[in-house]
Amino acid sequence: MIRIKKENISGFIEGLMSDYVLFAPVKDGETVSFRKIESADSIAEDYMNTDKSPKDIFFPPAEVLFSFDSGEITKNECSEKPFAVWGLRGCDVKSLTLLNMVFGTARQNPEDEMFQDPYWKEKYDNALIIQTACNDPRSTCFCNWFGGSPHDGEKADILVIYIGDAYLLDPKSDKGRKYLETVKNTEPAAKKDIKEAERLRAEADSSLSAVFELDGIVGRMSGLFNSGVWEEIGAKCVNCGACAFICPTCHCFDVQDEGKGKKGKRIRIWDTCMFPVFTAEASGHNPRELSKDRLRQRFMHKYSYFMENYGEHLCTGCGRCVVVCPVNLDIREVAKKVMSYQS
Amino acid sequence: MVNELREAAGKLLDDGKVDLVIGWAKGSLPLASTPVFISSSDEADQLVFDSTCGNNLTVYFTKDNKKISRDRKKVGIFVKGCDSRSLVLNITEKQLKREDVTIIGVPCSGVIDTRKVRRKAEGREVLEYSQDGDTVTIKGKEFELSVPLEELLSNACLSCLRKDAEEYDLFIGEPRKFSGESDPYSDIEEYENLSADERWERMNEEYSKCIRCYACRNVCPSCYCNVCFVDQNDPQWIGKTPEITDTMIFHIIRNLHIAGRCVECGACERACPMDIRLLYLNRKVAKEVRERFGSDTGTDLDQKPAMADFREDENQDFIMG
Repeated sequence: MIRIKKENISGFIEGLMSDYVLFAPVKDGETVSFRKIESADSIAEDYMNTDKSPKDIFFPPAEVLFSFDSGEITKNECSEKPFAVWGLRGCDVKSLTLLNMVFGTARQNPEDEMFQDPYWKEKYDNALIIQTACNDPRSTCFCNWFGGSPHDGEKADILVIYIGDAYLLDPKSDKGRKYLETVKNTEPAAKKDIKEAERLRAEADSSLSAVFELDGIVGRMSGLFNSGVWEEIGAKCVNCGACAFICPTCHCFDVQDEGKGKKGKRIRIWDTCMFPVFTAEASGHNPRELSKDRLRQRFMHKYSYFMENYGEHLCTGCGRCVVVCPVNLDIREVAKKVMSYQS
Repeated sequence: MVNELREAAGKLLDDGKVDLVIGWAKGSLPLASTPVFISSSDEADQLVFDSTCGNNLTVYFTKDNKKISRDRKKVGIFVKGCDSRSLVLNITEKQLKREDVTIIGVPCSGVIDTRKVRRKAEGREVLEYSQDGDTVTIKGKEFELSVPLEELLSNACLSCLRKDAEEYDLFIGEPRKFSGESDPYSDIEEYENLSADERWERMNEEYSKCIRCYACRNVCPSCYCNVCFVDQNDPQWIGKTPEITDTMIFHIIRNLHIAGRCVECGACERACPMDIRLLYLNRKVAKEVRERFGSDTGTDLDQKPAMADFREDENQDFIMG
């Protein structure tokens, strides 16, 4: 573990910018989002987590897959430099590993390139993931439901812990270790620094609310598929896509061609099961016609289907949807309701 | 007041006058209330009303995918002034019948914009919110602030002249009558005085934040097309990306589609997860409609919305002749 004095951190950031295309949290009015940054000064400081999740760095909301012109196809080229992301929270780092299960590998056959998404892989595989430990989790944070904790950086390349007068940088992967070896103006972390980091970790852990056990939720959800619980939960849902679009793990998309004559482009665009056209069929029939059908799909994908398919819940407890839902439909309450519902 | 509204809802249900009451309950977060559907007087103690009750509940009548709009007959609904105007508009547009709804007015002092509260707390998390008259107290881990309610109000509430319902069956307390004063639209003055290029730039700034989640559209009781123009895909009418050209088209068309139908409740702006100032354009268009057609949306059950009506004495200068 190394130590960088607070006043020297901009030097570290500038180093990252010369080696990588660097993304970091940037303040824009009242919201904070990950943006490509050109200067260390533009990084937001007083944020707990970004309003938008970082998924759009690797899975943009509208990604041109290729262009075509009279039968000639040109693949969209990725940036020459690899990506680095500074300031990710543990919940978001985990969400990227979940998305990687979908886009990066195939469950049954991880090596089979047919099931690998090149657009995701060329950005994510080479990326340097730098996580910032959460010293002050919010009341809406519930990463501990999914085995996470505010200082757990095991899925990142580098874990950064801010201890007031300095940053401690803890390499968590070979990639992270190699990068930190190239960084100048650092010193090894002192014993008292490590002690302070441990104190902050314990404080952050104890500030989270108790874990709500989700054991058995897969079976419960399947059993309740046709029950009235979805009508009860969903009565107030207005079926907008705010939850899905700020979610770090929702990853459904639509593919569309935009063009004129023989020239155009094929674009991958975020989509969500909350919208009626998501399942509208050419015949005019919609198998998920009602609000409750669409809402059920979203929660079952989170807590049932993904677990069945990949062995993880498709939720990292970041709490963004809890904050933005315009009708305060709180996903934590949905899980509790499903677990206690008597049909 | 809370007791009165709970009693009113309970009585309507017990007397069989309604099958269901739509109101607000305490939410899971300090700054949030949540819509609630009460079907028995035992549940009426969930009901609340305060400055966190920003949802325009009329929206539940007009979304056709909702059970409530499909099979409930007699519904009671709590309304602020703006919400009652939405109901009136929806009734004039034949989305529901006046006799099918029992309107319960509540005295409104405006509702908060949670982002303004966040700004006051300077990024620190607000863990408690309480209101005493015109003063709000917000508390977090190591801070406590007293703030005048006005500084936290939603932009729509700052210019609201009809705070209480004018069309209602029951009112909790005493409704304040509309003074007849005309809206000065001072909140959009700065925007209106910009040059066309600057206005375009401002709209670019605002709409480039859009992530196409349609929260603005989906919380709006005036937006109830069976298939919204953005969802028309056979053939597709507009581009679906969050690029500025596509988002701008979405917002401008939605805006024009609610011209003369927007009651300026501000629910869209409060619902936006990206903090887009949707009211610049909504209020500007509402002002134009008012000045040109003298129409105050949702205030008269016998009057058609401005864009659905034609009167011989209307300004017809634009017709070439």
